[in-house]
Amino acid sequence: MFKKLLFATTASPVCDNAAKVAFDLELKWDAELILFHVLGVPTRGYSPFITDVRTGETEQIDNDYVDWVREEMKHTYADLLKDSENNRIEAVVGAPHREILRKARTENADMIIMGSHTREEDVGASRYRQIVGSTMQKVAKGARCPVVVISRPCTTCWKLFSNIVVGTDFSKAADSAFGWAYRLAKNVDARLHLFHAVDITKDAIGADHGQVEIETRLEEARDKIENHHLSKVTDYDNYTVEVWEGTPYVEILKFAREVQADLIVMAHHTREIDPEKALLGSTVEQVVLRSACPVASVNRPDKAWEIDPD
Amino acid sequence: MPEGKLCNKQTVDTKEQLNALLADKSGKQYYQELKALDVDGDALWATLQKTCKSRLRTWLEICAHCGMCADSCYFYLANNKDPKQVPSYKIQSTLGELVKRKGQVDAAFMEHVMDVAWSQCSCCNRCGMYCPFGIDMGVMFGYLRGLCFSQGFVPWELKIGSGMHRIYRAQMDVTTEDWVETCEWMVEEYEDDWPKLEIPVDKPNADFIYTVNAREVKHYPEDLAEAAILFHIAGENWTVPSEGWEETSLAMFAGDWAACKMQVESVYDAMDRLKPKRMVVTECGHAYRATVIEGPYWAGLKNGQTPVESIHYVEWVAEALRSGKLKIDPSKRIKEPVTYQDSCNYIRNAGLKESAREIMSHIAEDFIEMKPCKEHNFCCGGGGGLNGIGRYREQRNIGLKVKRDQILATGAKLVVAPCHNCWDAIRDLEEIFHIGIRWSFLKPLLLKMVEVPEHLKPEE
Repeated sequence: MFKKLLFATTASPVCDNAAKVAFDLELKWDAELILFHVLGVPTRGYSPFITDVRTGETEQIDNDYVDWVREEMKHTYADLLKDSENNRIEAVVGAPHREILRKARTENADMIIMGSHTREEDVGASRYRQIVGSTMQKVAKGARCPVVVISRPCTTCWKLFSNIVVGTDFSKAADSAFGWAYRLAKNVDARLHLFHAVDITKDAIGADHGQVEIETRLEEARDKIENHHLSKVTDYDNYTVEVWEGTPYVEILKFAREVQADLIVMAHHTREIDPEKALLGSTVEQVVLRSACPVASVNRPDKAWEIDPD
Repeated sequence: MPEGKLCNKQTVDTKEQLNALLADKSGKQYYQELKALDVDGDALWATLQKTCKSRLRTWLEICAHCGMCADSCYFYLANNKDPKQVPSYKIQSTLGELVKRKGQVDAAFMEHVMDVAWSQCSCCNRCGMYCPFGIDMGVMFGYLRGLCFSQGFVPWELKIGSGMHRIYRAQMDVTTEDWVETCEWMVEEYEDDWPKLEIPVDKPNADFIYTVNAREVKHYPEDLAEAAILFHIAGENWTVPSEGWEETSLAMFAGDWAACKMQVESVYDAMDRLKPKRMVVTECGHAYRATVIEGPYWAGLKNGQTPVESIHYVEWVAEALRSGKLKIDPSKRIKEPVTYQDSCNYIRNAGLKESAREIMSHIAEDFIEMKPCKEHNFCCGGGGGLNGIGRYREQRNIGLKVKRDQILATGAKLVVAPCHNCWDAIRDLEEIFHIGIRWSFLKPLLLKMVEVPEHLKPEE
């Protein structure tokens, strides 16, 4: 299911948890792992200067500097590299989200793995917030393959996942999220939990909702899951369906906790262009920031419904 | 005659030369070699006799040393009114001396000339507006840079830059394949949100061709996507040329006139090949000056016009807002106080101030002018290639103070800066002085507030 994994790292402790998962996946799936670090952000107009994303300092870039950063990455991941069998270490200059997306595209990566890139102690993130702080969000939006974001230690190894939650809102992108989650669940023999939250926050509709209305909508959502998703499920019965009401990101987090989810899969689709607003406004961002388990964002069908040769 | 391995009078025309220069971090060896570089005084004098003609000679001679240009120069203001920063002094003590000494000068003098020509003048041409005789020291420094380049006395980064243009017809190593592929990539990435989005390549007879800055392609392709989306919303019939898409000219900053000619001719060839009605240039200042204002003369076009009419991005936006092709959602206009950075190259030197004001009247509710503004505005502090030269970082940073104080005086926290160099200079001044401002190109601002016709929205 995974032949080529792109681990997009800030090469700082923010990504330590993600690194463990990335190396784990490489071994368990016999995949090739690309450790990829975007080390500095260039200027908009002509200049040889970059802002180093880890230190926030202005640097002049040349090949020696890139080699030096790659050496540093080797040290950072020395322990994990010991067991690794198939990896490449690469460092480039650019806007982080753009270079990660470019790399995923040219390599035809099956999955992008990253930390949340938004923690305050990340010097680059706070100084260069308008670029680095929203890296995860922009990558999740633009990528054609699934993007797995890991911000907390992941205790279960991927192949032993037993509970995968997939949140749906019945959008086209959610079809892809479901497709990928289903494929993965079958592959690792996990229980698949289909989940939808009926949004009853005032903002969504603009008024309070009566109990009858809410219940009607819950019923409609169950039907939709049946027609929309379950109709595509063949020869697999290890799944559950849940529909709750509330604020979507809160409900999915509560549900994931209840079923002891090892992974949450969701679609990331927002038309909001302003990254700051989208960061606060979109459900997947809220889930990523708060989730105890990894969160996979799947937007497009490219890697979701492929027939698995295994 | 000693010529350095890296620093010499040769132009950079091969990838081998280019890579050798790039491998020399910060130009360390290059600048060492520069100190020992021989000056070919005879050649310099021959060039002066051939090219320093009546206008420049007259300017050099009639300067009355009245000092009226002093306060017009932001370097003079930012350096505690140091007399050595008075524009007339700066040009008389460099170009004036070269003429007086008939080109017979040594390497130390040429190094000094280079330092003055690139670190004490950004060719913003503001002084020319205040000289009672109309002497434009910016023009003269541009000319002087050409003399320096011909003798190999040019900042390391700009030697590289002009080489890029010679080899790639772009300021960065972006090939035709990279460029076309980037266009495809951006459509792929954005077409879910914008069904039927296109970046048509090499479409003949379009209403206009759109040309860009290579850094957008190399590092910030969203800019291209945003341009495409806005053209899409406006219903434009447009295209990009597969070759001749690069508008900028580091060769102009370097004073490499032969490379300037090569670069603009690639764009003019695209016009001849695709026969668009017009050309639209991205949000870049010097690119417009190079390709639209100066370029025709480099290419030997006697009427001083580009082969087809060429407009800057601000002109396109102003026109689209005026005609209703782009409509602004009134509720989404910028509410906070906002100011506008007039780029020297397309405002002072190309007269586009009213286009900028027209745009601001549509998108902002509380537009505050800098003082001075329009054609009297100060350079951002990073023009003329200065942002890109490591050797003069300190001088550049001192010069930024003038723009900092101008912005602070407006009270605005948002600066609209439709020029790559201005954008960088303003970002850098925030990094240095922490005055708590934000800055933006026009495209992302417009995308936040433009009304999207129903038929262009995705289904769902």
